[in-house]
Amino acid sequence: MKSREGHIINIVTVGISLIVLIVTLYPIYYCLINSLNEGKDAVSGGIYFWPRAFTLENYAIVFRTKNLLGSFAMTVLRTVVGTVVAILGTSLTAYALSNDKLIGRKFYIVFGLVTLYFPTSVVYSYLLYSQIDLLNKFLVYILPNIFQFYYIVLFISFIKELPSALIESAKIDGASEFVVLFRIIMPLSLPIIATIALFAGVWHWNDWFHPAFFITNEKLMTLPAVLMRTMSLSQAQQELQKVISVTSSAAVTTPESLRYAMLVIAVAPITIIYPFIQKYFVKGMMIGSVKG
Amino acid sequence: MQKKTTKQRGIRQNFREFARQWRLQVMIIPAIIFFFIFSYIPIFGLLNAFLNYDLTDGFFGNSWAGLKYFRELFHDKDFYLALRNTFGMSLLKFAFTFTMPILLALVLNELPFMKLKKLTQTGSYLPHFLSYVIVVTLWIVFLDSGGPINDLLLRFHIISKPINFLTNSKWFWWIGVMIDCWQESGWNAIIYLAAISGISPELYEAASVDGAGRLRKMFSITLRSITGTIGALFVLNMGNLLSGGPVGSNFNQSYLLGNSFNHETSYVLQTFVVNTGLNQLRFSFAAAANLILSVLSVVLLFGANKASKKTLGSGIM
Repeated sequence: MKSREGHIINIVTVGISLIVLIVTLYPIYYCLINSLNEGKDAVSGGIYFWPRAFTLENYAIVFRTKNLLGSFAMTVLRTVVGTVVAILGTSLTAYALSNDKLIGRKFYIVFGLVTLYFPTSVVYSYLLYSQIDLLNKFLVYILPNIFQFYYIVLFISFIKELPSALIESAKIDGASEFVVLFRIIMPLSLPIIATIALFAGVWHWNDWFHPAFFITNEKLMTLPAVLMRTMSLSQAQQELQKVISVTSSAAVTTPESLRYAMLVIAVAPITIIYPFIQKYFVKGMMIGSVKG
Repeated sequence: MQKKTTKQRGIRQNFREFARQWRLQVMIIPAIIFFFIFSYIPIFGLLNAFLNYDLTDGFFGNSWAGLKYFRELFHDKDFYLALRNTFGMSLLKFAFTFTMPILLALVLNELPFMKLKKLTQTGSYLPHFLSYVIVVTLWIVFLDSGGPINDLLLRFHIISKPINFLTNSKWFWWIGVMIDCWQESGWNAIIYLAAISGISPELYEAASVDGAGRLRKMFSITLRSITGTIGALFVLNMGNLLSGGPVGSNFNQSYLLGNSFNHETSYVLQTFVVNTGLNQLRFSFAAAANLILSVLSVVLLFGANKASKKTLGSGIM
């Protein structure tokens, strides 16, 4: 039995969801088709559905440019190192905090929770980093971002769900805490490790803040920071002329078309793996919301 | 006497227990040191608001300044501009970015096709995973005077000449609202969808027997059942109000999209702090502004928590 009201609601909701889909995804698609189009041709506008003058030249130039390739490699490096360190640190802390017999547990938890509610400004981080000599070092990407109390909370709630008999019996067999953590807890916690690794990995991949404020050395620049400097076109022109010798290929490319190619390269890794990993994110979000 | 000995025994026992679990305690140390250095020390840096800080000083200023920098701050025209923009922009963003996810969740919940629901959901939270720099660049492209949005408006004769969205202060807050809604509505709807999926189907069946239509059920059952979730998130996000509501994008937007043309509406407290601190090197002055911002945020968080305890019967703390 279908009422008129039901029909109207069906039509309206389907319509809205289609609009949502188009509005969300089209801007990304737009960049993709424009990055595959000759820059000189795109100047006349009107490329909305598919490339008009197809070319891979934009990508060829981006990948031939040493600085851009370097920043790409630097982004990968900091993402990998940052994520591994975050996982190790988080699991170590979460394992200890998940033990109810831990003396001082309450204090440690409050000590961590406070950090979630008192945001401070980049100004004092800057002062601090200059004092402990972190400015302009690769370590500034890693050290200040090892722990996130939120991740620790996620991990604790996961460990609490594991059967405690497993841990008890291992301890009776004489296993030390470290052995229990690395041999028993970590292998069983792969789902939550995956979730946290993805959160941390995406954060590292996207972070523009640290390179923009704490790094001046070109060799340490990451992709978001380079993109940031090409945001406005006049800047893009100067920047691209600095890093790219636009001589031979000047015929078809423009700063604009190169910027599209860089955008797509920055978006691509996440968009490609995204369909496979998004369920982990959602799980993490739910655990966090229930416990938090 | 009796009491004292048991207490002593308790301490001794605790000490023995502590020694026995030294491995666990060692595991905690890195995190404690980390949070102390990278979270607490910057908080203490705010004390510079009451000290005279010179570039040659280390982390803390060299002499007591009292309220000197606060007095300077209250005579600074830019501070009031930043204060006004922070509140205006934040309230506007809060109103939209807080309600959009709820509406989206309600719509997704009513969708007749499961596949379309999954697809829309998955698609809508993709932007959450993109760097703000990328998102901003996308919208710079789209909002350009020769970009797709102006082209569309021109074609349909809604406007007669291109609008310079990015260099006109009139549009700045609305651009922020739009970007935030685009980037985070889908992601923030997840919590509401989870809450909706927990509603007992019997409620809907009973309502159907009573002759309630779908629209009626949507408001009386779905929306009412998630009021608790809405309230809790409202309180949580209140602490975040001055950084731009649930999405917290004030600084990012102001720093990346602000320019001399839209300064009138784009300058917020967070950029004020960075500008006076890192560019003009007036660290104590910047600390005073930052302290005010932090205190306001904490007051908002606790205030909202108290209000929610009174009205909803429960808070988050």
